[in-house]
This record gives sequence, structure tokens and C-alpha cells, in this order.
Amino acid sequence: MDSGEYEHDMASREVCANGVCMKATDVEAKLDEGNIQEAESSLREGLSLNFEEARALLGKLEYQRGNVEGALRVFEGIDLQAAIQRLQPSLVEKPPSKKGRTRTESQHAVSQHAASLVLEAIYLKAKSLQKLGRLTESAQECKSVLDAVEKIFKQGIPDVEVDNKLQEIVSHAVELLPELWKQAGWHQEAISAYRRALLGLWNLENDCCTRIQKAFAVFLLYSGVEAGPPSLGVQIDSSYVPKNNLEEAILLLMILLRKFHLGKTKWDPSVMEHLTFALSVCNQTSVLAKQVEEIMPGIYHRVDRWNSLALCYSGAGQNKAALNLLRKSLHKHERPDDLMALLLAAKICSEDSYLAAEGVGYAKRAISNAEQQAEHLKGVGLHMLGLCLGKQAKICSSDFERSRLHSEALKSLDGAIALEHNNSDLIFDLGVQYAEHRNLNAALRYAKEFIDETGGSVIKGWRLLALVLSAQQRFSESEVVTDAAFDETAKWDQGPLLRLKAKLKISQSLPMDAIETYRYLLALVQAQRKSFGPFRVNPQVEDDKFNEFEVWHGVMFEGRGQTQEALGTYIGAFLVDPHYVPCKILLGSLMLKMGSDALPVTRSLLSDALRIDPTNRKAWYYLGMVHRDDGRIADATDCFQAASMLEESDPIESFSSLY
Amino acid sequence: MSNNTATFEITVAAGESAPPSNSFSKTDEAIRYLSTILPSIPSSLSSSSNPSLSLLHDPEISTHISALLRRPSAGTGDDNLCRWLYDAFQSGDPGLHLVVLRYIPLLAGAYLSLATLWRPLAGFEAILLALYSHETTSRAGQPVTVNVPDMSHPSLYHESTSPAKNNSTALNLSIVSPTLEPHGAVRSTRRARIVGVALELYFGKIHEMPKSSKIDFCEFCRVWAGDRDDDRNKQSDPSRVGEVNDSEDGVAGRRIPLPWELLQPILRILGHCVMARWANDKEVFDAAKDACRSLHVRAVHDTNAKAILAAESLLRLGNMASLELTNEDEAADPTEIPTTNILTLN
Repeated sequence: MDSGEYEHDMASREVCANGVCMKATDVEAKLDEGNIQEAESSLREGLSLNFEEARALLGKLEYQRGNVEGALRVFEGIDLQAAIQRLQPSLVEKPPSKKGRTRTESQHAVSQHAASLVLEAIYLKAKSLQKLGRLTESAQECKSVLDAVEKIFKQGIPDVEVDNKLQEIVSHAVELLPELWKQAGWHQEAISAYRRALLGLWNLENDCCTRIQKAFAVFLLYSGVEAGPPSLGVQIDSSYVPKNNLEEAILLLMILLRKFHLGKTKWDPSVMEHLTFALSVCNQTSVLAKQVEEIMPGIYHRVDRWNSLALCYSGAGQNKAALNLLRKSLHKHERPDDLMALLLAAKICSEDSYLAAEGVGYAKRAISNAEQQAEHLKGVGLHMLGLCLGKQAKICSSDFERSRLHSEALKSLDGAIALEHNNSDLIFDLGVQYAEHRNLNAALRYAKEFIDETGGSVIKGWRLLALVLSAQQRFSESEVVTDAAFDETAKWDQGPLLRLKAKLKISQSLPMDAIETYRYLLALVQAQRKSFGPFRVNPQVEDDKFNEFEVWHGVMFEGRGQTQEALGTYIGAFLVDPHYVPCKILLGSLMLKMGSDALPVTRSLLSDALRIDPTNRKAWYYLGMVHRDDGRIADATDCFQAASMLEESDPIESFSSLY
Repeated sequence: MSNNTATFEITVAAGESAPPSNSFSKTDEAIRYLSTILPSIPSSLSSSSNPSLSLLHDPEISTHISALLRRPSAGTGDDNLCRWLYDAFQSGDPGLHLVVLRYIPLLAGAYLSLATLWRPLAGFEAILLALYSHETTSRAGQPVTVNVPDMSHPSLYHESTSPAKNNSTALNLSIVSPTLEPHGAVRSTRRARIVGVALELYFGKIHEMPKSSKIDFCEFCRVWAGDRDDDRNKQSDPSRVGEVNDSEDGVAGRRIPLPWELLQPILRILGHCVMARWANDKEVFDAAKDACRSLHVRAVHDTNAKAILAAESLLRLGNMASLELTNEDEAADPTEIPTTNILTLN
């Protein structure tokens, strides 16, 4: 009813009981004179009520016309606790036998009538206090409603036997209590009240239960108050019991989603947003993907769903799945201009040489769309374009094409940095691109800038600087940088730095120092294996590749002269990753020793290696050997020359190992 | 109190060994020392019945301390305020802990902005390390994990439709906060983690933090994210005492790398500021929404899928909350009893 209508009806309001009615305005007039007693006695006489009934009605009248202070005064005149005491025996004695059924039922009806009268009075007292801002007192009153109900109905509220009025008050009180504690700042009480609401037998209707579940999930997620696990008393064997806030919130939100899937509640978009937040914050976007997939069609537009799923999969490291979804959503009949999707697709493609060409397309579309939609994202588009072009150059078969792509990549990245001058990721990528292009001075400048921009907080920045210096054959400076990096790194993260340092020692013809450093590295690896269980995460150290292990195994066989074993191991590693360059080269160098029959295979292996990594000095060298053994002296000379030129600008470890 | 703070050293095994008693005298002592650092201290403070609570909420104190923390020269090893904050935290007094946490947004903000300039910041770092080692001790270095429920199994709050199998479920276990290793100094590659842990502690007490502390945090988020119109806003704001507008100096803050170990606690704190409406007013809400917007833009710039998802959902929730705020009067209170024309007993 809208308020105008309500005003109009004010005059026709009535107070009724025992089949008699009185005009509400007559009673209110007495109340307005400040005379509660008189109002009360007129009700008692006019409607044949006892004292408590009359007071309860008066309080409700005051409450409904918005005079909460008046209502409170009326309610304070009733000893509600005594009334509760009186209520208890009559109901508790309820015999469970079937024989005396009719008698107990009628007794029930009377008692329930009395119970709901008292409980409603207490509840309205709580509401009045709430409206007056006296939250703690309000919560205490509200709690006493629930305590009373628990005393009266020891077995929980029965489904059928309770009249609507009583059930309504109970449901209201159950829902209100945690909100009151929460607003009054009594956080632990709020948590207990929420759990009491959800775990008690209150016979709540679905919507009410849904509201409480959602409110509790929100409280758990955002209050910052750690709830602690629920008490042992409520835990049931073999059922899932959440042990912290995030788990409990996620559980409740998933239950809410399931209720929706089962058609038990209305769709509430905020539930999905809360769940998205919770699951992303705890790195579980793959679980989130499952939840998004289960949402029925018609809730989200399909493109939105695809894009959300792509984000989920990408967040979980499943980039292939993400890209497949983005391809669908970026199709010309769907939403081809979505900037976020274009950028994410380009980023995913930029990590794989074989997808890089596709990524170039996405990045170019992103750039032209950014110019219209969001200028600030143009730099990101250029950045992605540069990465994709650089990656594309790696698998390019012609030298001419490769150098064209390389310089375009650099042009894009330079364009990006003009727009995003302090984007550290971009600075790093520029450093690597220049280094791979053997523009070592520019690479050095960006490597230094990256370390400044990040305050030396990213290990790969230190490694880039050290590698660039080593490519400039400035080994001792490179070692100084490596040592500085040690100071900024915790012990467990020093593995890659130790390896770098050992190689630097070798380059400086200090093999004994190198051995010493390798010994540290070995000790570190062993200690790491012992110390860490499955929970160890190290965001800054790349996974040790299984292949590298295999290859080293092969090197050892080869060193011992066990050619066949070495060959077997290399081929094994080759099968695991056919694009792994060090393996191709080792295999090539080994087969080179196996006579002229193996030369064609060796040649194709090494050419392949050079296609992937055209600046690989060793590949050029061995290819030169192949040409020499085959009698192509001019070709051999070219290869050796390339190898020797590269040696002058060869980093101690490949620049691509930085990613 | 000696001024010989050049040898300001870090005790790694935090001061929990101190007896929990005489919290009053600890607070009194802290206030006495603070009065030698700040230009003035309200007299009401020492007469307060709960001095550490007054210390937490007093606007004059926070204005002074904030101004000191925002100085370009703040955070060095001989910074008396840092020494005070460090001692206050090491006192082991819960009330003083809250006071220190209250300044974590400003401290982390100033620290992360200045750290990239290779300034010696032993003062800031001592406080952050004290918080870090406190948390390392109380968690025994253990990670915080989340075991995401599988709905096909019954739980505390629901029954499963399919019969419960044994415990052979594939658990979705994930780490919310990784193992904590003891650190005696801030190495730059661990900086984000150490600050991240301080922010986790801040989140754990955020319901006790005053509004201005949360607003400080939201403002720094925008700066960290690299929000471009930020410099302009700050320069026109006269309330920022002691702040230099020299952006070269870095005190006004700058865009910083935001690895997940930093971003995750940031998002959780912003989640509180946007969604815990029972605890926050409109000003905090608005500041947090602005911060979410900046972080969302940043997440897209970094094409960081996880961050995009989290920031986007917070933004949407913020928008829904704004709508609810404007329609609050019309919204039905489900705990209200229905208004009727005829009042009956039952």
C-alpha cells in the first residue's frame, strides 16, 4: 500500500479482539494524552482483555503508527520474562502419545495463542529499540525471543502445528538478531547468531533462509573478523565442515547458487559476484569456471559467459581453453570489438610462437578499437603487438622476414613505452627484445630502468642485467650484479642466480670457483627437497624443466663415452619437447661423430635449432662442422664466421630463459 | 629516552614474551614518549579511561602522525616516530597493536613509493618486519589454505542429493597465504610479501580501524595502480599536511608493480570498504569504489585475469550497493511486521 492510501485509511483503522472492535483513533487519543493506563483499561473493558493482552495491543498500535518511543513505554510496563516463564510448563508437558491428541491440540492452540502474544510483544520491543538506535538492548530482547522459543519447543518448531503468526515472529527474530549484533559491533555474537539461525530448527521459509545465508556469506567475506570453525557439537561425521571464513562463505554462496539451479530461489546476480570475488582471491578460478558453466542459459549473455570463462581459465593457467572461448566471443558475428577480450587473446597468443601471428591480429584490432573506446589501453595494445611480433619472428623461416618482424616488434614496443612510460613489464620486455636483437646498449639501458622502476624487487630484472653485461663480455660487472641480486634474494630463491654465477666463473676461466658455486647450488636443491611439502609456492622461480634434467643425464653419458645411452636419453628428451633447442644441438653434435651417414639428419636437426633460435652460436658452429665434413667449405666458413661473431655478443644464458 | 637510534635494530622474535599485564602503564609510557615526538598532544588523552582507544581514534594525533609519515625524509633508521611505532607494536599490548595497524596504509604507501628510490628506510622496515615476524610466530610459519567445498558431498549447511561416498573426493585445495619464512631484513625481492603480510594483519583488524585509515588506504591504492589524474587531485587538496607536491620525490606516491602477494590483500581490504556497509559510511564506500575502478583499469593494463575477475566483481557489487543506497527508503525490511488496518490479538 502506498503512503497516500495509508493516510486515507488512518481513520478507518480498528482494534479488534474477541469479536468486538474499537476505533483505533479513540485509543490513540488517550495515548496521546500520555495516559497509558486509561488507554489500557478502555481496551480491557471494551474488548474483554486481560492486562497483558491489552498492553500488547497498545504497544502494537503505537508501533504501527510509528511512535516507537511510546511503544517502548507500553512494552516496558509488561513483565515479559515472567510471561515467558508462565508459558513454558503448559507446552513442555505436551505428551507425545497419540491417545490424548485432541485434548493436547486444543491446549496447544491456547498456549500458542498466548505464546505468540508475548513473543510478538518482545519482538516489537526489540524493533522499537532498533529504531531508536539502542542496538545492543534491541539484540538482547530479540535474543530472548529465540531463547524462549527454544525453551518452549524443545524439538524444534514443528512444520504443521504452529500457527502462521507465531512462525512469522520467530522467522523475523531469527533474521533480525544477527543483523542487530552486527550493527552494534558485536561481531562474535553476530557469527553465533548467524550460525544459530542456519543450524537451528526454526522451520524458516526458503526466502528467509536465503537472505540469512547471503548476509552471513557477506559478513564472512568482508568483515575481517575471523569466525573460527563452528563448534564440534554441530559437526556431523563425514560432512564438510568449513574451517575458516573463506571456506564457509564459499560454501554458503555455492549453496545459494544450487538453490537457484533447483528453482528454489530467484536469481540474485550479487551471489555470483561475491563468489567470483571469493574464488579469485583464493586462486580457485578453475572452480569458478565450473560454477559459471553450470549457470543456466538466459542469465548471462553468451558472450559475457564466454569472456568470464576465458578469464577463469586464463587465471588458472589454462590458456588454451581460454583462447578457444575468446575466439568464439571475438568472432565477427559476436562481439569482435571487446577490448578486454582482444587484449587477453593477444596476451595468450604472445606466449606461443605458433599462435603469435593470430595474436598480431588481435593486438591490431585492440589498438584500433582503443583509439575509439579507451585511449589509455592503446599502449597495452601496442605492447601486446610488440610481444606477438617478436614471438612470430622466432619461427620465421626467412632471414629477411625475421628482421622485418623484429624491427616492427621494437617499433610497437617503443610506441607503447611512449604512452606508458613507467610500466615495468613493458620496460622489461623492451630490454629482452633489444637484447635478442643484439642491441646491447639499448638492452642495458632498459635492464637498468627496470631495476629502478621495480626497486630491484623482481629477480628476472637482475638476471636480465647480468645476462646483458655478460653478452657484452663484461663478466666481472655481471658478477657484481649477480652478487647484488644475492643480497636482495632470500636463500631459497637463489638457485638460478647460483647457476648464473657458476657460468660466469667459467667464462672468467675460474673453474675451481665455479665448482664451489655449483656445490652450493647442489646443497640448496637438496635442502629444498627436504624442507618443503606440497604447500611451497615460489612465485619468482621458474619451474625446473624435466627436459633439462634429461638432457643433463645425456651429457653425463656422453662424457663417460656411453654414446648409445646418451643418444637414447637425448631422443627421449626430444620426444617430450621437439622444440627444445639445447637438446637438438646436443643430439646434432653427438650424431656428427657418427660418420657421414648421419650427416643429413644432423644437418636438419641443426637447421631446425637455428630456425627456433637463430642466434645460437653452438648451432652455427656444429652446422659449420657438418658442411665441412660434407665438403662444402664456403658454407662451412660462413657458419663459423656467424658463430664467431655471435660469440662476441653471446649472453651466458639464453635471453629467452628470462621468461 | 635516548636519541641514539642509529643502531636501531630488529629483534626478530617479537616482543610477545612481555607479560600481558599493566597495559595501562604501557600505554601511558607510549603516550609520554609520543608527546616528545609530536608538536602537541590533546590533554584529554592522558585522562581518558581507555587511552589506547583514544590514541586510535583521536583526530589530532592522527593528523600529526600522518603528516610525519608523509614527510619525504620519513622512515629512516633514526626516525623517532618509526621507533615509537616499532616499540608500540613490540609492547605486545593489543590496544597499541591496533594503533600501529591503523597507520599501516600510510606506512605501506610511503614505503612502497620510496623504496624504489633506493632510500635507506630502516625505520619503516623495522615496523614491517616486526609485524611479519609476529604473524610468522603466531602461524608457526604455516600457510593459510582453503579447501573449496564439493557440493556433491553433504556439509554443515546442506544435504547432498547423491549418497555420501567416503573421503575420496578430489579436494580443491588452494593457498591463500603461503608459508612464512623468517626474515631478518627486507630483501627487495621479498618486499611485496612482507608488506602483503602487514596488509593481511590490517585486514584481520579492519573492523576496528577508524574511517580515515581506510580512506588513506583507498587513496594509496589509486596511486599504486597508476591512476593518472591522481597528481592533480592531490595537489588541490589542502588537507594533505606536509606532503610535497614534488612527484620526483615520490612521496605523493607512484605506480608500483603489483604482484599477487600484494594485490590479494589489497583486494580483500577494498572488499571490506565496499561491502561491509554496517561498518563504513558513504565516504569510505566512495573512496573504495574509486580505488576498485583504478585497480580494475590496472588489471586490464596488466591483462591479469585473476585481478580482472576480482576487481570487476567488486566494482559490480559496488554499483549494486550504490543503487540500493539510493533506493533504501523504498526497500522493504523483511524483518518488519506488516501494517494492517485492523489490529487483532491474533
